[in-house]
Amino acid sequence: MTLNKTLTISYYTFKEIWKSKILLNVFFVGIGLMIVTYVATEFTYGVPERVALDFGLGMLSLSSLAISLFLGVGLLSKEIESRTVYMVIARPVPRYSFILGKLIGLMGIQAVNVIILSLMTMTATKFLGGEINGLILWAIGFIFLESLMLLLVVVLLSLLANNILSVLFSLVLLLLGHVIKDTQEISFVKSNPLVVKILEAYHFVLPAFYKLNLKDFVIYKNELPLSYLAGNFTYAILYSGFLLLVVVFLFQRKNLD
Amino acid sequence: MIHFREITKIFRSELLGQPFTALSNVSFEVPEGSMVGFLGANGAGKTTSLKIIMDFIRPTSGNVEFSSALGSNRQEIFRNIGFLPERPYFYQNLTGHEFLSFMGKLTDLDTKTIEDRVRLWAPRFKIDHALPRELKTYSKGMLQRIGFLATILHEPKIIILDEPLSGLDPIGRKELKDVIVEVHKAGKTVFFSSHIVPDIEEICDRVIFLKNGNLAYDGSVSALMKQAKVQDFIMTVVAPGEIPSTIKLKERLDLPESLTRFTVTPENKDVLLNHLVTNKKSIVSLEMMKPSLEEIFYNTRGTHDPQ
Repeated sequence: MTLNKTLTISYYTFKEIWKSKILLNVFFVGIGLMIVTYVATEFTYGVPERVALDFGLGMLSLSSLAISLFLGVGLLSKEIESRTVYMVIARPVPRYSFILGKLIGLMGIQAVNVIILSLMTMTATKFLGGEINGLILWAIGFIFLESLMLLLVVVLLSLLANNILSVLFSLVLLLLGHVIKDTQEISFVKSNPLVVKILEAYHFVLPAFYKLNLKDFVIYKNELPLSYLAGNFTYAILYSGFLLLVVVFLFQRKNLD
Repeated sequence: MIHFREITKIFRSELLGQPFTALSNVSFEVPEGSMVGFLGANGAGKTTSLKIIMDFIRPTSGNVEFSSALGSNRQEIFRNIGFLPERPYFYQNLTGHEFLSFMGKLTDLDTKTIEDRVRLWAPRFKIDHALPRELKTYSKGMLQRIGFLATILHEPKIIILDEPLSGLDPIGRKELKDVIVEVHKAGKTVFFSSHIVPDIEEICDRVIFLKNGNLAYDGSVSALMKQAKVQDFIMTVVAPGEIPSTIKLKERLDLPESLTRFTVTPENKDVLLNHLVTNKKSIVSLEMMKPSLEEIFYNTRGTHDPQ
């Protein structure tokens, strides 16, 4: 019964966002992607398919993160400010069901975004003579997982701070999560045991987004061991699960005034 | 049906701000089958109380109990409550029909039941023509009406309304009040807040009055009205002439067409009447001035009718 309500909330969340025409922006991003890809390949010698793939995955990643960031920050705070949340949780709906429904609904929008831009990217790559291999699909899947993690981060922060701070902190965490690996390779860091410890500790607490970035491997290497992919996939799922638990815990106890 | 027991709610502002006591040891109950008005000026603590009842916020101390008639667990209890928040704001991109389906499904109604009830109530609320439209195109009154429809769609046993009449034009207020009365006559308990006393006076049989976060009155409207003492009498007379100074007048006002209006206390009413009758003056009217419920409330200091 509760599952039904969660799915009902997710369906209407999806519908509400869908009808807000946000996906029209995705369509324009797709058209822009095609044009930029075409122009870029004209200036590239020998590897137009790589350029198409690079642009495509880059755009896909950026648009997914933007959707997570800007729709995610208002997912709960807007509901509370505008009191729409009262209409839902005044009914026999547990709070966790409400928040799960909202998240699933938004991830449905995210899925549509990823599918549209992925198809465009793969079409352009194929058209320019490139191959569609399994690693490209892993990369697309990881972009989806990265957007899920960022969504949970921004929703969690929106329960603790105002919208502007939530977006700023999320951006900082996104940036840190991508540069942390390279930072550990800097010789100054390696020579400083305290900094090494701090950066190692970071992995246990804050999101390591770099684990979900396969773009370089897709474009230059075309292969990765399955254990690496499975390990990072498991990390993303477990970390998202952990974030979800924290979000549910905070929302259960939040005063909705 | 609802027992609000010794509730205190203190809002602690951040850092160095002073804590604010919104409710101070407030207790009341909403009996089954009653139509209870929840009165108080803006900021008296009405909405805070309703949010505590609906579990949107938690009290600092005290608790809310629901009678077994509503159910034994949260799911059952909330299935039997219909709640409409103050100035409801709905999902703007959903149509009226989609919104009602959404709300109906959340209260375990199947599609056919939702359709049947929407067909029954939408014309009554005069929003049937607007159901295919997105809610962002609705006027404030239409939003209030569709919100009320969503509140009663699942046929709850108790309806809790937060300022349901605010922002409506006089016709809209009348229509909504009629529906509230109709729903109450159909056996529903109604508990609604308002800062407008005449609305409560008109349709409620019981009233709870909050003043600065404290309970000022809890009891029947009629008992409160009986408590009200006659204040003054107003007498309109044709050309009364001079009134002896031994008769104490509160006010004398000369009106056009030789009319004069006297305001006298109950003690001086008969003396003035005698004088006028003796002098064969023509008395046009005699009115007993009782304070309105509004005046009674704003002079109330913590009374409780045990009925």
